[in-house]
Amino acid sequence: MSPRTRELGFMVPALLLGLVGAGSVASARTDTLDYGPLPGVAGVVVVFLAMHIALRLRAPRADAYVLPIVGVLVAIGLVELYRISPELAADQAIWMAVGGVAFIITVVALPDHRVLERYTYLIGLAAVGLLVITMVFGTRINGAKLWIQIGGGQTVQLGEVAKVLMVVFLAAYLRDKRELLAIPTGRVMGVPVPPMAALGPVLLFLGACLALVVVLNDFGTALLFLGIFLAMIYLATGRVAYTGFGLAAFVVGSAAVYTVVPRIQTRVDNWLRPFDDAQDQGYQLVQSLYALAEGGIIGPGLGRGFLVTSDGTTVIPALQTDFMFSAVASELGYIGGVGLLLGFLVLIQRGFVIAAQANDGFSKLLAGGLTAALGLQAILIIGGVTRLIPLTGVTLPFLSYGGSSVVTNFVLIALLLIISHRSATGNAPSRRERKRAEQQAREIERAQRREEVAA
Amino acid sequence: MNRSIRRLYMTLAAGFGLLLLMLGWWQVVAAGDLRDRPGNLQTQQAERLIDRGRILSSDGKVLAASRATRVDGQRVFERLYPQGSLAAHVVGYTSDSRGKTGVESTYNRYLAGSFGTEPLLQRLGAKEKRGADVILSLDTRVQQIAEQELAGQRGAVVALDPRTGAVLAMASAPTFDLQTAITDFSAIPDDGGPLLNRAASGRYPPGSTFKVVTATAALTSGLYTADSTFDDTGSYETPGGEIRNFGGRTFGNHTFTTALTNSINTTFARIGDNLGPATLGGTMTAYGFGTRPPIDLPDDEVSASGRRDGDELLPNDQPDEDTARIAIGQERLTVTPLQMAMVASTVANGGTLMAPRLMSRIEDRGGREVQRAEPQDLEQVMAADDAAELTAMMENVVREGTGTAAALSTAGVTVAGKTGTAETSDATRNQAWFIGFAPSIDPVVAVAVVIEDTSSTGGTAAAPVAAAVMRAAIEAR
Repeated sequence: MSPRTRELGFMVPALLLGLVGAGSVASARTDTLDYGPLPGVAGVVVVFLAMHIALRLRAPRADAYVLPIVGVLVAIGLVELYRISPELAADQAIWMAVGGVAFIITVVALPDHRVLERYTYLIGLAAVGLLVITMVFGTRINGAKLWIQIGGGQTVQLGEVAKVLMVVFLAAYLRDKRELLAIPTGRVMGVPVPPMAALGPVLLFLGACLALVVVLNDFGTALLFLGIFLAMIYLATGRVAYTGFGLAAFVVGSAAVYTVVPRIQTRVDNWLRPFDDAQDQGYQLVQSLYALAEGGIIGPGLGRGFLVTSDGTTVIPALQTDFMFSAVASELGYIGGVGLLLGFLVLIQRGFVIAAQANDGFSKLLAGGLTAALGLQAILIIGGVTRLIPLTGVTLPFLSYGGSSVVTNFVLIALLLIISHRSATGNAPSRRERKRAEQQAREIERAQRREEVAA
Repeated sequence: MNRSIRRLYMTLAAGFGLLLLMLGWWQVVAAGDLRDRPGNLQTQQAERLIDRGRILSSDGKVLAASRATRVDGQRVFERLYPQGSLAAHVVGYTSDSRGKTGVESTYNRYLAGSFGTEPLLQRLGAKEKRGADVILSLDTRVQQIAEQELAGQRGAVVALDPRTGAVLAMASAPTFDLQTAITDFSAIPDDGGPLLNRAASGRYPPGSTFKVVTATAALTSGLYTADSTFDDTGSYETPGGEIRNFGGRTFGNHTFTTALTNSINTTFARIGDNLGPATLGGTMTAYGFGTRPPIDLPDDEVSASGRRDGDELLPNDQPDEDTARIAIGQERLTVTPLQMAMVASTVANGGTLMAPRLMSRIEDRGGREVQRAEPQDLEQVMAADDAAELTAMMENVVREGTGTAAALSTAGVTVAGKTGTAETSDATRNQAWFIGFAPSIDPVVAVAVVIEDTSSTGGTAAAPVAAAVMRAAIEAR
């Protein structure tokens, strides 16, 4: 059976999950079945089928499991959003369609991801540029400058796009310099360091990103970028020392930020003692923990938890964006929460398998970096809402409400699948490459013939 | 690079492992604590959706029930208290903003249907989400009489079945309306502390009712019998000062029985000194003084009886305090009506102290028994023949002593009892007490009555209340 046929089969559980979930929510709402969500479900099914067909045509040997897992996550997210507000779910379904188009464009326009290597510095600059644009033209919402307002009150979060661009840049850059980086030539405070010529640009880039996110007051993204950077340095060099040094630098840096930025102090204090200020600063986290506790082991079922009050406000502020995990675990209980975590874990496992099976350094770094970005982002936000780490407002991939996140992560998945397909075909040249190679061969042949004639 | 990839995967997987543990902590381990936190909107909402079980009296009266109603299109339940203020302190209220009290609190798990496999069955849809009914041993006929008798005064009544420890009545005055408590708490007049359950948590000096405890210690010690003789000169010297008899009377040569009948302070002070703190303290401990009675009410609604400042019962080490004064129920001793009812109940039950209990059984919606309260003996405080001897002495108190107003001779029933009149700082005001049981042979009810701030004595203010309550209990049987 071909990977694509298997993929189609594995999509069935996601479809059932979406249908049963939407049915459960609808029946909890009105005591009867409501066919309202059916067009939405159908729309998302069409989007996934289109993505599947694009893969069939352009990347037939790509991993068969990634898209079905994404489907499951998307189904849970949409059902939970529909439960919070049908309008939000309808919006999100439209964003899914946009994400699907972005996915298809990526798969069609980029049959070989290795062309990205040619634009290493351009992509790096674009990542920084997006953040600069956010800094200059951004709108501040809840204290953080994350959004760019475009026509009609729509906002986009360019940091999400910058995330993918940064991974691409680092993959290309580190692919070139990994040998240099892996051999330390000096020592700083007893830690072996690579030559400055190789490390410098990387540090500069990272510093620029971090400085920007600190200015934008978006520590979640700062933390995510740092995590991605350390993960990819480790992948490239295989040296734990660098990562350890990076973590140590991070701890020192965080301590410094903690003493200087009051907002961060509040956030850490709320993390350590959320119940001390349960009505004000700690409100969000405490309500999240209450919702988790109410869910218990098996949960009351989709649509049957207490997430929205009778006047339409959510019991946890920012429930549809930052606290989607709490919403799911509250209604589906520990069993549902564990299921969701395992869903992400399996997705990451597939991502790393794709990285391990890739044939060249760039592909390995790119796949590994994209996967690490996904995993770290999930850990950051889920860790925040379960009080494992201080709360940061990054989105939960594929579940949180919001267009930028959906579209970016769909493109991220497209890149992973392209890499997967390329490694499965032994990096055989694409049709376009083949044509170009044939053309070159013909030209050489012609040239040789000319020389022969001349001789 | 594949080794690095594998290790990075393991690191992220470990991160997910931590998330798994943390999630389990909140959803499984700490969930109960979180649900009990005040201000938890989840719990408040969840409770409104539960068809909470009823609270019933032993004679089948509905003390608390739930009724379905619709709020914003959602089916929610509201609590009803059809009997208003009857047994308000025992039943307790359940309110979003003020939490729970009384039986509503102690049996919440059952009333809310969150016991055993219920929550699982309910969530799977195999069972309706409805709490179990709690049936109390309380009899509204006895309770009503107790509350009537207390009306307009401050005080408390506790009536127990001495054979089982079952609470037949527990009244505290002034009282409040339960329906008002959940709809408009501020409308409860804050006059005289109506919310306080004086019966289980009000602490009063026991006065002469404590002589039953001293008598128990005396008989148990083997040093005294009902016929032991004493000589009274009207005064007894202690380190803390002179002890005199009530009304300044002098009794001369008399027996132990007479000492109890006439509540002779000098004789009981002498006995206290003679027994010493260890013996008296041992008897007090056996009766349950110093520890919270194991009744099924919330912890903060039940007080332990003992020294006012909460130290150990005895020995006493302060110069102005002595065993002689403790023996006549004065000094730094304060007790709850419930504890004194337990004393009377122990004598009535041949010396065996039973654990006081409000719940008699719990039934689910289909009438199936979920739980039944089995009588539980806590302590053999004295031998059965000592109890019989003490009973005879207490019969004499009601027949010809200070407690004649507690007699039920018209009903053909012999009553055993003891009065008490504890002085307060205001010389014209007393705390009037009566403890006793009836019938004196094969008793069915033991009572303790306290009336606060009265100018009368235990014999005139408390004994008639006790008589009415005991009669009601015998008739209700």
